[in-house]
Amino acid sequence: MNLLEQYLSYPAAPERILSIIGIELHWFLLQYTLGLPFAILVLLILYKKTGNQNWLKLARTATKALGINFALGAASGTLSEFGLVVVWPNVLEAAGRYIYYPLYLEIFAFLIEIVFIYLLVFGWNKLSTNAKIIVAFLAMFGAWFSAAMIVSVNSYMVAPTGIVSAYNPQTGWTYSQGYPKVLLVVPSDLVGALDVAKLQSLGMEVVGQMGNGVAVYMPSKIVARLAYEAWSMKTVGDSVLALVVKPEALPAVKGLLVKDVVDKILVETVRTVGYTTVTFQSPVYLGSILHTIGAALTVTGFTFAGAFALLVLLTKKKTAYYMDGLKFGVYFSLVAIVLQGAVFGHIMGMEIARFNPEKLAAMEGTSNQILSIPRTFGIEGLMKLIIYGTPNGQLPGYDQIPVDYCSLMGVPNIPDCRPPLILHYLYYVKTGLSILLALLSIVVAILIWRKKELGNIWLWSLAASPAVAQLVSFLGWGVREMGRKPWTIYGVMTVDVARTANPVDPLTYTVVGLLFIAVLALQVYAAWRLLFVPSLRGEEE
Amino acid sequence: MNVQALFMALVFGIHIVAVNIGIALATVIPFLKRRAAKTGDKALEEAARGLFKIYAVTYALAGVMGTAFTVFLASFYPEFVGIAGNITMIPFGISIVSILFHFFAIVSYWYGWGRFTEGLHNMVGWLLTITAYTIPLGFRAVFAFLNTPAGLILEPKPSLNVVDALLNPTFLPLYLKSIAGALTFGFLFIAGVLAWKGLRQELSQVEKGLYMDSIKIALMGLIAMMFLGPWYALALVNVPVKFNNIFAGLGAVLNAPTFSSYAWLFIIKMILVLIQAVVLLYLLAPIKGTDVLFSQEGYKATIIGAVAAGLTVLTGEYLNAFSQYPFFVANAPLIADKLPEPYKTILTRALNLENVSPLAQDPSLYLVTVIGVTILLAAAGYLLYVVFFKANNH
Repeated sequence: MNLLEQYLSYPAAPERILSIIGIELHWFLLQYTLGLPFAILVLLILYKKTGNQNWLKLARTATKALGINFALGAASGTLSEFGLVVVWPNVLEAAGRYIYYPLYLEIFAFLIEIVFIYLLVFGWNKLSTNAKIIVAFLAMFGAWFSAAMIVSVNSYMVAPTGIVSAYNPQTGWTYSQGYPKVLLVVPSDLVGALDVAKLQSLGMEVVGQMGNGVAVYMPSKIVARLAYEAWSMKTVGDSVLALVVKPEALPAVKGLLVKDVVDKILVETVRTVGYTTVTFQSPVYLGSILHTIGAALTVTGFTFAGAFALLVLLTKKKTAYYMDGLKFGVYFSLVAIVLQGAVFGHIMGMEIARFNPEKLAAMEGTSNQILSIPRTFGIEGLMKLIIYGTPNGQLPGYDQIPVDYCSLMGVPNIPDCRPPLILHYLYYVKTGLSILLALLSIVVAILIWRKKELGNIWLWSLAASPAVAQLVSFLGWGVREMGRKPWTIYGVMTVDVARTANPVDPLTYTVVGLLFIAVLALQVYAAWRLLFVPSLRGEEE
Repeated sequence: MNVQALFMALVFGIHIVAVNIGIALATVIPFLKRRAAKTGDKALEEAARGLFKIYAVTYALAGVMGTAFTVFLASFYPEFVGIAGNITMIPFGISIVSILFHFFAIVSYWYGWGRFTEGLHNMVGWLLTITAYTIPLGFRAVFAFLNTPAGLILEPKPSLNVVDALLNPTFLPLYLKSIAGALTFGFLFIAGVLAWKGLRQELSQVEKGLYMDSIKIALMGLIAMMFLGPWYALALVNVPVKFNNIFAGLGAVLNAPTFSSYAWLFIIKMILVLIQAVVLLYLLAPIKGTDVLFSQEGYKATIIGAVAAGLTVLTGEYLNAFSQYPFFVANAPLIADKLPEPYKTILTRALNLENVSPLAQDPSLYLVTVIGVTILLAAAGYLLYVVFFKANNH
């Protein structure tokens, strides 16, 4: 199977690639926006406790880095926001209408970030140590609050509140029963017009009265088709709805826009679930936010360790400042990566197994069409043990996923509803590199703890570790986003519905993508020139 | 006017004032830095560096408020955002790419000061200046579209003819008027900052030179506005509803319905323009041989002029926006009936500012907004105090 071809075969390939570039650029930067305030806070507390000037110096350098990084992070965030407006306007419209609350609160988080990060940057010489600690905490609070809001919306896209997946580890896939299904609340005034028996024959399950309507589990293929029809401006008469409306009610409703019918159902659903909490109730939210923060802390820790290892190598000096910086980075990254791998990653993995089984099948490569890494190395039992807590669990088989499970009678027109199998290799490269990073931090931490000399091999390995940690994080987000395809909101809206009706030509997308990459390169260059080179020269930084 | 529109007006007002200051500062700072490098004038370079700090803060404020505006828009009027997003990729794209470069230029210019070579720093300075003018280019094209939807195509699908959109009769006067207004206010703001300092201590020669030049440029901007303002007003004959909402109260009416009267806001704006004109003439025209420019009275007058200029920008922007309330597109009432279905149904409701998204009508949401904005504006005030006024510990 040509894996790249499969990935590109889903709709909106140029838009998806541009979004990967734009959002991954933002993701690259926000690792530090989330990680550095916490590191600065820890350093300031260490300084307060020990009086060691090196911790203060390190905190100052980290604050300068945070200032540069935040400005570019805010810029890339603004670009991602505008990118959503013009490239994915329909999903933004849906988000604005039904799950806007965390985005709304994020404005305040952004304000908190900007005020306290720049208070720390520009007010450094004007604040006492205690004041700096408070400001660093508030800067961290702003950044993490912001992440908590945005990740909740993204979690909803990965697994919307009320989703029931199509897999049971004991019995296998349940597509034949109409799964995956989404919990919806149909307003009472609409219920009367619908032919419930027909809907049940299509897989709909009635749960019972809830709020001002009737709660039902609606098969995703019906929801996906309705989303398509809604954003294609179809009327009920031209819609699949005409088949499930009672014949006597059809004349009165056939001129209605499908969008209005869908809107009534979604508004009632969100109102019933709670508009302020609906995204936070996504079943993958806890794992997602922990895994996001964990990734940022891990990347930040390895960046400290790598920068000071490189300084030692290039200056051939092991000053107390360099060694303190190195030590801080190694211990920080060790704690972060252990937590990230053993706790946060595990929670995330279990949530994905339960609520995104198609993605899990692709990640684990349970297909006969590709060379599966667990199969090759005979570790399938281990994977089952990690995922399900028992080696007897059954991993979801990729080849058994129907290629049309996301469409109803060919609408929306998605040639293959299964997630891309390239995910398998991305995921295993990510996992392999994570294990190597963890081993590196463990070995170097032991060497430092036992006061052994760090040889060049360890120093060079540490120097490379920030790039590897960023790559791991990049791949992690890539697996999360690419693994959702062809859905934009899993079980609800496919990617063809989400994108603009007026895409520009691929050349324009390419130019914009290259501009994004150029800015990322300039950011790395700026960090090198403004933070690293002065340190090499022995200046304050 | 509903509370949602007022929230948007609040954040948009702060955004637009900060942006206007930014356009002038992004123009003058690289110019001063280049001049300082040529003449070796360290004091001039320090003055430019001081202005850059102000610029960084105003830009951050503009960025946050711009983001807040976009999120408010998406939360209160999602269907409008969906429609606009589907058809305005090119004009927004011009602004998006410009913002990308502008942000990068700000960071590089600040951190590269004294570190980059002169040539490289100047190049970044040019990038800073040019992108300050291209960002509003895209946004003003969208604003012109919101006057009258030139270039809108409905069949076979809703889309935009970009050439027709840029030939919108209100686009060029709106853009040029905005730039001239920004330069007038921005330079009066710079003069006002120096005047504030002048009231407390003697200005250096460099500061006096910058002060005088700023006032002269502001006067030139105001003169330009005397032509560009009427040009935009005349262009509004293509937007008769808006024209009537502004000018009907003054006796000028076109053949179109009048929904509201904002003549009072127009009059306030004109009074504010007049105040600026009087101040500038007072400062620059010698009266009985005395030079008031550097006197205490002159400094006070400059500050009054700067405040009047800021309020002019604010009232001008509000006049432009409110005079089409409750429609997102000013000409919507004239074209809605001519649209085919389903566009008629969809656009009629999506372009109505009184049709707020049902899930965003919770009063507790507004309470959260008011409390949050109040606390954070106070925090921003503390940031400004620490950065600009608090003494160093060390």
